[in-house]
Amino acid sequence: MSINVAQRRLLQEYRSLTNNPPEGITAGPISEDDLLHWECLIQGPEGTPFEGGVFPAELKFPNDYPHMPPSMKFLGDVFHPNVYPSGLVCISILHPPGDDPNHYEKASERWSPIQSVEKILLSVMSMLAEPNDESPANVEAAKMWRERRSEYEARVKTSVRASLGL
Amino acid sequence: MAEEEINLPSLVIVLLITGLAVRYFFFSGNASRANRQPGGTGGVTLEELQRRREREREAAVETVQQMFPQVDRRTILWDLQRHGGNLQATTERILAGRTETPPITFQPPPPPTSPETIAAAQQSATAAANKPAEMKTHPDLITRYNLKDKLASAGPSDDAGAAAGAAPKIGGWSSNREERQSLLQKRRDQMIIEARRKMEAKIAAEKAAAAGASSN
Repeated sequence: MSINVAQRRLLQEYRSLTNNPPEGITAGPISEDDLLHWECLIQGPEGTPFEGGVFPAELKFPNDYPHMPPSMKFLGDVFHPNVYPSGLVCISILHPPGDDPNHYEKASERWSPIQSVEKILLSVMSMLAEPNDESPANVEAAKMWRERRSEYEARVKTSVRASLGL
Repeated sequence: MAEEEINLPSLVIVLLITGLAVRYFFFSGNASRANRQPGGTGGVTLEELQRRREREREAAVETVQQMFPQVDRRTILWDLQRHGGNLQATTERILAGRTETPPITFQPPPPPTSPETIAAAQQSATAAANKPAEMKTHPDLITRYNLKDKLASAGPSDDAGAAAGAAPKIGGWSSNREERQSLLQKRRDQMIIEARRKMEAKIAAEKAAAAGASSN
């Protein structure tokens, strides 16, 4: 049985993420029986209300990865303008290649096979630090972030502590 | 007179052929329709059209609901109906928070109840029921990853030594599949335990600061 392109590529990415893990990121397949389904942990960036938190998320890769991007979903509570209430992450790097039909994003910001899991996770980390106000996925969070920042930060901090059992 | 005699049989033949042709088309058309909708009359196609429209509408509602689980079905249906079923326009209005609340008089048709949709609805219902339950039973990372024992067993005193000793060991790629799996899990556990320790220390420091401030 030969393993296909997606599997080979994912194994290779898993390997490099294990050998040189980026600061604050742990990622890998839940089981090597299914390389298309990963779970990762992302640390909340310092200097943000997410600081000190650890956020689990699942990555689901399509069969034609790396041509098409994976989808990413937080498994815990992440109250953020670019994260749907279901946990689904909405950032440009996770959008299929090509031009945005709504002209919000440049093609270079979207997914392409030269991107990687590591880049996705780093992008999500910086998204936690700097929400993109232009295309909110969680309208309530976006509104609160824009209009009542301190309330937003307090809410995030509380949920971070709750997620650590404190 | 001779002309008439020649024309009459040919006329009869022509009529017969057209008659047969009309009958053929008429009956075959009717038969296939009758198969689809027994007892139906001229309104058969209309009914079918309505059903197709219903299906399209349900698909649209489902698409919107997948994107915005917090918006209820009634609001989506109202918006779709008001704006000619334009999915993109509805999506944009929800994103901008410009959806209107439907009037009380607006009674949307219930979701279709074919066996498939019932099964799907049940599935989503159980999924929805499971989700909050899961959130409740695994409210935090410690419970989720079963770290209570590790958190308790590794005291804060040997934490520094363990972390220093374990960190370089955990970093590498093992050629053994099972070992890789367990190393990944260890790294994950360590990350959570560390975060929890730091947060505990932070909260303790905050409390101490607050106590100091109040005693002064």
